[in-house]
Amino acid sequence: MTTTVQPQMLTDKKFPFCPGCGHGIAINNLARVLLEQGYKPEDITVVSDIGCSGLIDPLFATHTIHGLHGRSPALGLGVAMGLQQKPRKKTIAFIGDGGATIGLQHILEDARRNVDMTLIVLNNLLYGMTGGQISGLSTQKYKEIIDFEKDIPPFDIIKLAHASGARYAARVNSPKGMQDALRKAIETPGFAIVEIASMCPSYGVKRLNDLIELMHEEESYENPRPETRIVFEEKPSLFDKQPVITAEFSPHMETRKGILIAGSAGGGVQSVGKFLATAGIKAGLHTTMKGEYPITVGTGFSVAEVILDKKDIHYTGLENPGIAVVVTEDGWHKIKKRITPQTTLYIDEKLTGLVDVPVREMIVKPFSKIVNRKSVALLATAYMLKREQFFPPEALKKVLENHRLKDIFLATWERLELVGD
Amino acid sequence: MSCKIFTFVHTRTKSDKTLKTTLIDGSKILTEALVRSGADVFVGYPITPSNLLYSYGKQRFPLFLAAPDEISTAQWMAGLSATGHLPVTSSAFPGIALMVESINMAYAMELPSIFILTQRLGPSTGSATTGAQGDLMLLKGIISGGYPLPVFSPSSYEDAWELSNKAVETALRFRTPVFILTSKEFVMTQKSFDLDRLKPLPKHTHMREISGEFKPYKPVKDLTPAFVPLGDDEYLTRFTASTHDQDANIRKNDPEALENSRRLRKKLVDNLDDFFFYEWDKQAEKPAENLILTWGITASAAREATEALRRMNVPVDLLILKTLLPVSPRIYDMMEPYENIVIAEENLTGQLKEILFGEKTPEKIRTVNKIGDMITPQEIVATFKNPAS
Repeated sequence: MTTTVQPQMLTDKKFPFCPGCGHGIAINNLARVLLEQGYKPEDITVVSDIGCSGLIDPLFATHTIHGLHGRSPALGLGVAMGLQQKPRKKTIAFIGDGGATIGLQHILEDARRNVDMTLIVLNNLLYGMTGGQISGLSTQKYKEIIDFEKDIPPFDIIKLAHASGARYAARVNSPKGMQDALRKAIETPGFAIVEIASMCPSYGVKRLNDLIELMHEEESYENPRPETRIVFEEKPSLFDKQPVITAEFSPHMETRKGILIAGSAGGGVQSVGKFLATAGIKAGLHTTMKGEYPITVGTGFSVAEVILDKKDIHYTGLENPGIAVVVTEDGWHKIKKRITPQTTLYIDEKLTGLVDVPVREMIVKPFSKIVNRKSVALLATAYMLKREQFFPPEALKKVLENHRLKDIFLATWERLELVGD
Repeated sequence: MSCKIFTFVHTRTKSDKTLKTTLIDGSKILTEALVRSGADVFVGYPITPSNLLYSYGKQRFPLFLAAPDEISTAQWMAGLSATGHLPVTSSAFPGIALMVESINMAYAMELPSIFILTQRLGPSTGSATTGAQGDLMLLKGIISGGYPLPVFSPSSYEDAWELSNKAVETALRFRTPVFILTSKEFVMTQKSFDLDRLKPLPKHTHMREISGEFKPYKPVKDLTPAFVPLGDDEYLTRFTASTHDQDANIRKNDPEALENSRRLRKKLVDNLDDFFFYEWDKQAEKPAENLILTWGITASAAREATEALRRMNVPVDLLILKTLLPVSPRIYDMMEPYENIVIAEENLTGQLKEILFGEKTPEKIRTVNKIGDMITPQEIVATFKNPAS
């Protein structure tokens, strides 16, 4: 088949389709509609993928992009989002029924997002390039004729797209309504999908009337919703909100200190680790803070690792913790293998029965009797700092004073004296 | 030419009230640097351990898109890139695995884009919250046909800052996807850091030098075609992932099309010196007896191991590779004078080592490999048999 119509929108290349193939009719009709609506080639981007429908790529004298099998709805959405800033640019993606099966989720996502673009599904009921195998859009009637997976129903892509929010979704089975449906799709602000029945004389249906008989019924739907606008906006630097910490105190330590704080989810362990690391900076130290917790962040252990040093810290691992602060059973079980005979252990009095490994020194205090579970990690860590004096504990208090929850944290701080010496 | 572009300030032993010190993670540095360098879209699908990058991407990029899956992510990125934007995403192995075909597509179409791969412990789902350096081999072979892809790997916050800028520059200059290969420890751990250590970054743009007839895949500079976006009002352009000639016509094995495919490798390899970055910490002009060679997160342990060994009077130099792929032949020249070389990386068998030497390792090379936890400085030090000698 050759074309002589609308050379402005189409190249002069010979159509590569088999004699009798329906794809060429759809292309000619689309080109006609685009010109009729006043579009110029530079306004149009045609997106195609793999399969017989992908052979359209060289036929359009517009911008074109030719990608992967089943992905033109996703690639096309990327193009459409990128072009939306420019007036009157139109993205039109093509896909076959095989591609539509691969990229079904992309089509539903396009419909849900409702960014302005048109997707044309050329459904010839089969995979034409690989020998006529059925696709997810091969209709029930067709599968019964060829006796291929006839017990498994096909997707109705138009109903699915409509249910997912497509602004316009239509199926046309004969050339008669094709121009009207394409015109409506191109005019639609938002996502429009048109499924076009297409003959495959090589492997499938050779007569138009037979094809019409085998397809789903012609239908069209609309969702009266505004198209989604894509907005690029300059945003402030991430550094603008990054607190600059000034050294106000002096450290009392010479060598690197590694501290484990071990508790349970919801106990503020990660925050306390960050407070301690921040306080270390306030004392002129280099610090690191690393959190560890299960993927299910709302349950189980929560461990914070803090390193303090007067020198730059390159290596952020902590294999021999000098200090471990343990406030819950979850926390103890998580870190007990990391405890060494050189570790000083600060532990809640309820947990002492669990300690079955040698430690340098075990400091047992009734932290959980003095404050509730949400504050016990802070109390125990503050006590540890008060006793170890790596730097003045007032640096930690200053960090708490600058926090939006300072009242809660400072109430815990006030209870420090109840822990004793 | 010397490529030692990242010199480190190793020590700060006194407090200084003028320092702009903050507690910050690598994800924030990467995100800020990418936007300042010219990236304008973040397309994300959340996956541990890259979730901070996703979160910061939403806060900082002019456009943030929450994709429904990783294939959509890479496809949207390609579409946005083809219209003149510079998209970024971050993921871990499971997500990158899903993107492989689409990354090949972007590579063949010559679409600039940035992929941050935060390595975690594999195989498969592995351990999402455990770091690793196990995906270098994946990137070595990710493009069908053995074509190279630029891969940068930061070893410090200064690296994260400057390599992000180089990644954007490389992506735009050579019209290619670029990887930033990092790891869980780097993107999630917070460290005290003086923000004044970060230099101002230049913003990069597409190369559009067209003289005479425009052809979508006609190389005009650095063996790279000028970039004309979809929707352009001056020139009509075409992108294709199939083997193609300079006009983007799909061709099977005609000479022009195959030459175009060869060019995809050649443009990167011939210009590699311009984006081959490393840090070579030498004790003296003359190479020391020993060399520690490493990359990415293990560089932190290697720095401390190097300091420790020198304190023990072990003559040792440190070479940290920051451009991992394409492999620069200069790496072999740099290694040549050393009597003993230790290659340290947090994976099972030494992926950099295997890329450099295949399955047969030269006698003077030893390795430190580990899975499940970071390599410690002590483990590197221990490989030197007589450290006190």
